[in-house]
Amino acid sequence: MKLYCLSGHPTLPCNVLKFKSTTIMLDCGLDTTSVLNFLPLPLVHSSRLSKLPGWVSKDGTVNLEKELKECSGRVFVDSHPEFCLPERELLDLSTIDVILISNYHCMMALPYITEHTGFTGTVYATEPTLQIGRLLMEELVNFMERVPKAQSATCWKNKEIQRILPGPLKDAVDVWTWKRCYSMQEVNSALSKVQLVGYSQKVELFGAVQVSPLSSGYSLGSSNWIIQSHHEKVSYVSGSSLLTTHPQPMDQSSLKNSDVLILTGLTQMPTANPDGMLGEFCSNLAMTIRAGGNVLVPCYSSGVIYDLLECLYQFIESASLGTTPFYFISPVANSSLEFSQIFAEWLCHNKQTKVYLPEPPFPHAELIQTNKLKHYPSIHGDFSSEFRQPCVVFTGHPSLRFGDVVHFMELWGKSSLNTIIFTEPDFSYLDALAPYQPLAMKCVYCPIDTRLNFHQVSKLLKEIQPLHVVCPEQYTQPPVSQSHRSDLMLELQPPPMPYRRCSVLNLPFRRRYERVYILPELANSLVPSEIKPGISVATVSAVLHSKDNKHTLQSVPKPPPVPPSKKRKRVMEEPPVVLVPKPLLSGAVPLEAFLATLQKHGITEVKVEETADGHILHLQAEDTLIQLEEDGTHIVCDNNEPLRTTLRDLVLRFLQKL
Amino acid sequence: MDTECVSLLPRVCEVLADSARSLPDDTTLEKLLDWFTGFTKAGGSLLEACPCLLEFVSTVVYNTTSDPSVLSFTLRLTGLMAASEDGFIMLQEYSVLDLVFKLQHWQEAGLWDDPCIRIGWIQGLWSMLQHPKALTFFVQSGDTPYFIEPLLQLQTDRSIFVASAANQMLAHILLFFQPPLSAGCNGIGKKDGDDKRTHASITDLDQPAITLENRAEYAAVVTAILEYLKESLVPKENTQLHQSLQLLKLLSLLLTQARSPLRDMLLQTVAGSLEELVTTGYSQLTVPLMDVILAAHSSGTDEPDKHITHLLSSMLKINKPADLIHAAAAVLRRGHHDTAHTAWAVRLLLLPLSIITGQTLLGAAGDEHHLSMVEQLKSKTLCIPVVCVSLTSSPQITLMPADFLPCPPVTIVTAVLSLLRVCSGHVSSSCTGCTEVFRNVIGSGKVQRCALDALTAFSCSPGAKEKISEVLTILTQYLDSPDSDPTVLHKSYQALVKWTCVCKDLSSIKDQLRQDLIRVVKKRVCDMRWEVRDSTVEFLGKAAGVLKSAKEEHDVFEALLGGCSCTTPLLKEALQDPESYVRASAISALAQTLAHSWHQGAALTQEQTEIVSRLLEILSQDTEGFARRAVIQFFITWFLSCSSHSPPSSSTSSSSSSLLMNSVHSILSLGSTDLDWEVKVHTLELAELLLDEAFSGHRGYGKGSNSHPALLHPNAVVSDQAWKSDLVSALSGLVELGVISVLLSGLFDCDRPVGLKACQLLITLRETVCPLSLEALDATTAMATVARVSCELPGWGWGQEIRKIVRMKKNDRANEMAVTGADEVCSKEHNEAGEHSVSEGGESVCVGVCEVLRSLGLDERLGVLTQSSDHVHNSPLSLLQDILTASAAHAHPDTQPGQEVIVDCY
Repeated sequence: MKLYCLSGHPTLPCNVLKFKSTTIMLDCGLDTTSVLNFLPLPLVHSSRLSKLPGWVSKDGTVNLEKELKECSGRVFVDSHPEFCLPERELLDLSTIDVILISNYHCMMALPYITEHTGFTGTVYATEPTLQIGRLLMEELVNFMERVPKAQSATCWKNKEIQRILPGPLKDAVDVWTWKRCYSMQEVNSALSKVQLVGYSQKVELFGAVQVSPLSSGYSLGSSNWIIQSHHEKVSYVSGSSLLTTHPQPMDQSSLKNSDVLILTGLTQMPTANPDGMLGEFCSNLAMTIRAGGNVLVPCYSSGVIYDLLECLYQFIESASLGTTPFYFISPVANSSLEFSQIFAEWLCHNKQTKVYLPEPPFPHAELIQTNKLKHYPSIHGDFSSEFRQPCVVFTGHPSLRFGDVVHFMELWGKSSLNTIIFTEPDFSYLDALAPYQPLAMKCVYCPIDTRLNFHQVSKLLKEIQPLHVVCPEQYTQPPVSQSHRSDLMLELQPPPMPYRRCSVLNLPFRRRYERVYILPELANSLVPSEIKPGISVATVSAVLHSKDNKHTLQSVPKPPPVPPSKKRKRVMEEPPVVLVPKPLLSGAVPLEAFLATLQKHGITEVKVEETADGHILHLQAEDTLIQLEEDGTHIVCDNNEPLRTTLRDLVLRFLQKL
Repeated sequence: MDTECVSLLPRVCEVLADSARSLPDDTTLEKLLDWFTGFTKAGGSLLEACPCLLEFVSTVVYNTTSDPSVLSFTLRLTGLMAASEDGFIMLQEYSVLDLVFKLQHWQEAGLWDDPCIRIGWIQGLWSMLQHPKALTFFVQSGDTPYFIEPLLQLQTDRSIFVASAANQMLAHILLFFQPPLSAGCNGIGKKDGDDKRTHASITDLDQPAITLENRAEYAAVVTAILEYLKESLVPKENTQLHQSLQLLKLLSLLLTQARSPLRDMLLQTVAGSLEELVTTGYSQLTVPLMDVILAAHSSGTDEPDKHITHLLSSMLKINKPADLIHAAAAVLRRGHHDTAHTAWAVRLLLLPLSIITGQTLLGAAGDEHHLSMVEQLKSKTLCIPVVCVSLTSSPQITLMPADFLPCPPVTIVTAVLSLLRVCSGHVSSSCTGCTEVFRNVIGSGKVQRCALDALTAFSCSPGAKEKISEVLTILTQYLDSPDSDPTVLHKSYQALVKWTCVCKDLSSIKDQLRQDLIRVVKKRVCDMRWEVRDSTVEFLGKAAGVLKSAKEEHDVFEALLGGCSCTTPLLKEALQDPESYVRASAISALAQTLAHSWHQGAALTQEQTEIVSRLLEILSQDTEGFARRAVIQFFITWFLSCSSHSPPSSSTSSSSSSLLMNSVHSILSLGSTDLDWEVKVHTLELAELLLDEAFSGHRGYGKGSNSHPALLHPNAVVSDQAWKSDLVSALSGLVELGVISVLLSGLFDCDRPVGLKACQLLITLRETVCPLSLEALDATTAMATVARVSCELPGWGWGQEIRKIVRMKKNDRANEMAVTGADEVCSKEHNEAGEHSVSEGGESVCVGVCEVLRSLGLDERLGVLTQSSDHVHNSPLSLLQDILTASAAHAHPDTQPGQEVIVDCY
């Protein structure tokens, strides 16, 4: 069993598991942090961005004025943003049989994998994962396509040139593999390969393994996966949460007794407690509004935003923010808010019960109804006529490189009354803000990451006790910036197996058993004999039939009736002579009883010698040895066949025959 | 004792003695006993006052079918009666005592198994053992003291109440009968022969009660108890730890109170056992054992016993770090003054801090317990208590003389600061502490709270002031941290107030820190948790109050929090808070913040006007009492700070005090009609201040006069006329402000505290404006003008009530006049009254203030109001009646269920 690691990002994993003749891809996360190296895509023409000076090397030998621009002391690529894809050279992606998706954040690279690689397999995901994943992809494509860029920068990727570039660009890895965003057509084609599954539904893969999603408690429809054969079990834990937020709670008990547990998607903010951050979010928001400023919240259009809105719903009154408008701007804002309300079966119990009242499970419905929350597909159109300040705006993209957020950064960045509150943990806020510097706007970082923290995960692992744990190498040591925090790493016995991008791990377990079925008629013919109380044994003669990874014992076909003619047949055609198998023996020879039997048969002079494994009986008169051992009996008797036969029969009397 | 009670008591005794009849409730007997105890303590003799009790006791004690609770009561009552020598003698004459306390009697009746009998027995004996005769009885004849054996057995009783009572009883016997100090040189420690000789000298001294015989008896008791201690102190098995614990507690009690001979004997007896306990090292016994050893060690007079010193040293060297810390903490707690041991205990207590933070608190020398302590700290469950003990002791350590300390006190402060940093997860890479321990303390609220408490206490430590900048930085970090628990935030605020209060010079504080602090406070005012908002608002008030009262040259409040201009808007915002506690805190904080400007008589601002109108809104509309009470308090504070500066009424119209005086009328009328009685009492307090203000310096005014001694100068010449016109204008002023109405309506309030307060104030007022002693006089000339001052009474409620009373009084007086024939006066009076005639119902009318004050019968009212409303129910008479009624009701089983007597249980 092997694990191929195609992504080094611990929360955007992409691994391939080879298990019993199947090739399973676990998630295909897209590392979007690469976009931080690019200039923002403004929705409205920005004179500031268009006037940026181009970059020329100090000695003037390299001139990339067209491709690279200097902004606030850093160099950015002036081109369509590009993403860092999962590794594609490590193994042939066309050999992948299935892709299992754990949550909508971990499927953004799907079109790159399923399209143009020869992939012919199936993708499994839950319904909310598919639908919200589609929204996020749609949003991404929309963000990119509505601001077309004429040119595409490629020269800077030249290895020789990249080496002399400044700052983070120089250290960017695998830049030549970076790709532009996919198209809507590719998205649709990729998503057409998705087959929907429900929690605990068992899916057979070629009869060899069974896969089954379990609730992971992180987001709507998010799942962990169990991949098991009859005798082996692999758990894939990716993006799980034990907090009480909107999704169904995590199913922990089904993860028990795993041989291997692949652990990814722990919190990216182990030191930031989500509750504290939520409090921070609310108080900073209230503080800004009270002072007459606006609040900008760059966020994804699904996920934490539901919890933020719910929290604000309760907070608005207590902070007397009742009259402040809240805007949610995204091409998919409407669908996201509405989808969340219809996936009742995927929600936590509390919200599920509301559906029967009947009430919308999320309170944002009420916020919309009372006009406190308004949503718009973009800043163009209706929004501009409704826009009132001071207000709170939720919009994407959290990288601040594209989407409507770019506009608000330009609009509000100059006033210190305004505040930007980062809630998504995926991007470093300082890097995200880099092209907007100098910035007067206040900036608050309260990343809300509800995924498991180290404390929770060690408790979880203690409970479910997997034999081996595989995890990204980042989890096996404290964070670089906080080397004293020994509490921010996994400490396990045996130690977890770390992986990094391009690792190929041999998973440490040997397959010992295989399940074999027996046909009823064959079973019917068996004659079990009891060898110990409660244990019976029977011998089987049968034909082993293997197909689709299923093994069946069938009765031996009867020899065809011998034709009446006495015509000689060719030897080849003669049916195989079915030999009657010799009976199998079991049991032990009791020494005292055996000696007594020997005496009855006139053998009296027996010298008994004790050995490590049993006894040696020396029949002195007959000059014969009987070695009684745990798993064998030897009679050494030269030239006295009758005696040997007699002795053999005496021994056999004490043994059971099958 | 009340004769009525005495007459009821025989029947009550009958009821109690009759096992068939029941009691009203299970607290009856306790109440009865309390009554008897009170009577005895006041010096009364129960047997003399209530001879029926003797008969009761002798009847009940034979009737073993009685309710066990009645029997237990009887045991305790007997003890109480025998507490005096006379009672004791009488009871013995009737041979009641022997039977009551005879163990066999109860055992044979099968009642001894009931814990309430056992506890009754112990407490009865205990009450009785107050004189030598009782001791003789307790010991009786024979080789071993008669009662001591069962008492010792009860030490391990399965009921912890019984065991504990038995334990304390032993202490009582030993301590109560121990020979007086002057005779204590050689007394009991010696053999019998010796004993007799010293006894002769004792009897010569001032101890006539202790007879020679008693000495021997006492010695026997002591011997028995000591024997028991010697045998039972060391637990034979783990299950007996509880007994050892009890005995250790007893022992430390004895050692702290016993005098020389007894003390020496105790020490001699238990020395071996103590040593064994020290060597065995039961963790649960560490603290009580330490208490015993310390009590033994601090002998006061002589050099402490070498053996005990050795034990103390061993305790401070035991090999279980957790126990070691507790032992060391005990040394500090007991205020021990042995240099070597205290210094060693300090080292032990600082060890965990030193290990975690890597601060060199203990010098370069390695500690023998270092390794085991590190191991201990690595375990989460064991680590936190140890660290907390260490932290809790640290403030005391910093205040110790230098020769006890292994490092300067400032280093300890530094260590606690760096522990606080670790706790919040901010571990700097230069920190040399034990990283494996970090994971146990990071984010631990308990450690954070202990450390913050310690930090608060450090503000007084020598040399700590130099740390102010660092302290403020950490506290700001804690206040800023999203993960801080509300209690941690609260403690951080407390520490902040304390430190800034102590360290006046904040010039070393960087601007950045100031800005951070202001930002954090602004953020916390908007916190989601109301507890946090409340703490923050409270902090703002305290900061303004404490820091300003210091009256330093540079205003600390201004320097740290940007002064009122920064905090007042925050507090104004908090007045709208949905949580009433926060609103209330905000109101008090505003009062503290504004007090300064009031005090200086600063000009009125638009902001103040806004605040006042908002407060009046709260007073009239808020649904929660806390906020409304705070509003009245706000105005009281305002009034106080204005009047200490200049009388509010005399201020110019532009000053803030004019706003105050303009609002008073509304406050009084809103406050006095509030539903919450505390609001009403506060309103009366405000009225009291107004009274003080109006009459300060007037003859006969009882209260306000103290605050203005200058005006009361004996030689001050004030013409009588001027004084009168002053009085009239003051009284009219009060009527106008509505003070008189508030007082009068308060008098008829259904809440007793309100009525009481109003009544007291009205009496003061009456003594000032129309003293009864001048009544005859005023009718003629002097008071006539004052009497003309009238006030309006509403035509409903209390107004109607007062009018009725005034009318009745008037009729009475008219009748009286008619009889005496004082026509002239009568007609004059009548005329005057006619001006503000008292008509029936409906419209409001005016009445003379003085007339009302005189008519109301305030003194009688005060008498009634002073008594608590349940005084009737709580009286012994009521108790006795209850018992009788309940038994009567029970005696007639055919009583209808609805007619059952409902007994007042409180």
